[in-house]
Amino acid sequence: MTEKRRIPIQLPVLARVEGEGTLELHVRDGAIEDLRLRIFEPPRMFEKLLEGRDYTEVPDMVARICGICPVAYQMSAVHAIENLFGVQPGPWVRDMRRVFYCGEWIQSHSLHIHMLAAPDFLGFASITEMARQHADEVRRGLRLQALGNEIIRLLGARSVHPVGARIGGFHHAPARAQVDALREKLQAALPEAEALVRWTAALNLPTEEQEFTVVSLRHPREYPMNEGRMVSNRGLDISADQFESRFVEHQEAHSTALHCLHDGKPYLVGPLARLNLNLDRLPAPVRDLADSLGVKFPSRNMYHSIVARALEIVVAIREAIRLLEAYAEPSETYISVTPRAGTGYGCTEAPRGLLWHRYDTDAAGVVIKARIVPPTSQNQARIEEDLRLSLHALGVRQGDAALRRRGEMVIRNYDPCISCATHFLDLRVRELTHA
Amino acid sequence: MPDRVHIIGVGSPFGDDRLGWVAAESLQRSPVLNGLEPGRIVISILDRPGAMLLALWDEADHVIVMDAVRSGAAPGTRHRFTAGDVTASRLPATSHGFGVLAALELGHVLGDLPQRLLLCGIEIGVSCSSFSLSDAVAGVIPIFVSEIEKEALALANSAES
Repeated sequence: MTEKRRIPIQLPVLARVEGEGTLELHVRDGAIEDLRLRIFEPPRMFEKLLEGRDYTEVPDMVARICGICPVAYQMSAVHAIENLFGVQPGPWVRDMRRVFYCGEWIQSHSLHIHMLAAPDFLGFASITEMARQHADEVRRGLRLQALGNEIIRLLGARSVHPVGARIGGFHHAPARAQVDALREKLQAALPEAEALVRWTAALNLPTEEQEFTVVSLRHPREYPMNEGRMVSNRGLDISADQFESRFVEHQEAHSTALHCLHDGKPYLVGPLARLNLNLDRLPAPVRDLADSLGVKFPSRNMYHSIVARALEIVVAIREAIRLLEAYAEPSETYISVTPRAGTGYGCTEAPRGLLWHRYDTDAAGVVIKARIVPPTSQNQARIEEDLRLSLHALGVRQGDAALRRRGEMVIRNYDPCISCATHFLDLRVRELTHA
Repeated sequence: MPDRVHIIGVGSPFGDDRLGWVAAESLQRSPVLNGLEPGRIVISILDRPGAMLLALWDEADHVIVMDAVRSGAAPGTRHRFTAGDVTASRLPATSHGFGVLAALELGHVLGDLPQRLLLCGIEIGVSCSSFSLSDAVAGVIPIFVSEIEKEALALANSAES
């Protein structure tokens, strides 16, 4: 019998992810014995902070959960509360919310592609190193990110923690001239975004395929952002209010983020899940672009996420152009609502995937209970599953440096927003004993 | 055409980390700077802009970035660096942790730095848990602001001299 050997490999700080976490890997006799993605950002307890707050405060409060995807938090919140109060704000608000979301997808996806993921696939430690050999591509990425921020500012007044959204609509409508100027910039950026798609598809991406469940929204006509039913490649088809019957969060002792499972199993949300499930909802020119690539969708290669992100940037630019072409300054930028007691649900597509909110309010519209399930909580079990498969495929007898590199690449590929996911703490003391 | 100066206060609401914001707010009230024609001096208050600093300084001839500094000096020590003075931090580049120095290095690699870039800071202590400045930092804010006001004015007028 061979001597048993345990190799703990710790990545003390994960570089190039949103927030902080570590990966702990224990190897015994050439097999992975234990693997844990540890998240050690302090729990943020946003749901508790929302209790006792007036419904009007919710959009600005939840925007503070994340500096990268505040629009997503605002959009899931306003839809949930409007669902609770039984109101629909009308076509102008609906269109502008979609434009608002386009801005966030463009900035968040550009940031992830260039600052976080692409250096992995090109063999650089950082965007700065990458810029020495790919200056034009880095400049293009920064321009696209800035353009996304500009869209968010148009409707939100500022790009980080925007303040323009409210229950019932927006506080302010941009002037036509502002909209026209931005639309011209979007038009000019479209060929750059299309070139970005071709660039990501030409990267030397790993070719591993895995079996996984994908979950996203699906809308009858549109590529999903703010509306739709939750569907999967395994036959799921539910509305936001049915989420809790099929998705259950639980606490893992090693993480301050909850793990969410779908029917007891890991699943994927995010750009690859959306694209796999909504290819037929792509605008025709984007579908043609996708079909022209060497990378084919639907895909079971997680590394094709970077191509999916780039395609979604093109979707978002085209959608923003389309909606802003028809822009007219409205007489009212929001509808009034009358609070009532009850429960409301909202689910939208954050850049990183499904973002589900539930609010219970009293008759005056004061929040009694809030529940927020961010995409990173939903992806966390899938990330750990992917890590087991990928590191096993790589071979755990590889040196620590190779395992570390591959582990980081796998995690970063999901664009985990760890700050968003750490908002709950179950204060139970557990003793874990290892044989 | 007169030169354009962009003054950027970087920080967060917490403790001494907010000094860039406090200084920027003070400069926004400066009668001297407000006396210049509109657009000559732009003042921004930002919370960790990361690589987007490059987009911000894109249209400026001169940029002054104000931020909290930790170098081991005594709290309250004023720092002033030019772009050439500083070397990039060796911290891993997360997009959260992609700080002013990392943005500066990226701008340098891309050749996208403004004509003149100054980093002005004040050394801060360890704790950033309150919502106000420490006495050591608050005490030097007036002179820090006054120095930047003079510097900005000189830069704004540099093309005319």
